[in-house]
Amino acid sequence: MTPKQGTLPNPLALVVHGDMAALSKFQAALARKGFTTIVARDLPTALLAITQHYFQLAIVSSQLAEGGDGWPLAGVLHLVFPRAFVAVVSPVEPDVLTLQAAINYGAREVYDQSSPAEDIVNSIVAQLISSEGANNTKVQ
Amino acid sequence: MALQRSVLLVDDESSILQTLRLVFEHEGYTVSTAESCAEAVGLLSNGHDFDAVITDLNMEKDDIGLEVARVALKGRPKPAVIICTGFASMANSRAAMDMGVDYMAHKPVELQELISALNRLIARHREFEGKK
Repeated sequence: MTPKQGTLPNPLALVVHGDMAALSKFQAALARKGFTTIVARDLPTALLAITQHYFQLAIVSSQLAEGGDGWPLAGVLHLVFPRAFVAVVSPVEPDVLTLQAAINYGAREVYDQSSPAEDIVNSIVAQLISSEGANNTKVQ
Repeated sequence: MALQRSVLLVDDESSILQTLRLVFEHEGYTVSTAESCAEAVGLLSNGHDFDAVITDLNMEKDDIGLEVARVALKGRPKPAVIICTGFASMANSRAAMDMGVDYMAHKPVELQELISALNRLIARHREFEGKK
């Protein structure tokens, strides 16, 4: 799809999750909010995407190939795209250690993986809109 | 060329302040200290410009370190803010995350981890805030 002349392209989101069904649900929910979404099922694909796009939003599963390996990826995303909203979805209900991992890896929010993708995306977009960083991000 | 870096240490236990002062001065930091939230807020509100603020969480009141973090995070350029605590809870961790605290360290703090995190955060903040 070619953007209309004189309009900004859609904001870009990266979703990294090992489960194809989850990727599909996030992609659909993000599309409804006006995001173009790049998906990755593993770390190498995610790293390739990071070298080729500039993301305003990233949603990363904390568990890709093994438990906890999504956290360093969230940290990399925070370093490379310092203004991006980086969210992590955790397979267990977030506890104190999960929140501390989120802080220390620069994630802005952590969600329970069992929450519907639509709810997670709505929550992220609400936070984006209310934050300063949303000034240049076109969300619907 | 060595860059001058400054850190404000906030803790109500003077022995901890003294130990951390020695550690960070050895690392090349200019160190200021405060023994309470009120003293720290006074320093932060009086135009003092720190590259980083490391604060205890529980001092004159429980979770009062969050107030130090809140005031520090209003600074421009924004310093790196680290909270050290042995009493993390869902409530105070959530509050720290929501206000944009950069790092939360568990007491007893592993010094090398703290130094490494601080150096990394300051380098990133200087680049992000355009500070030399």
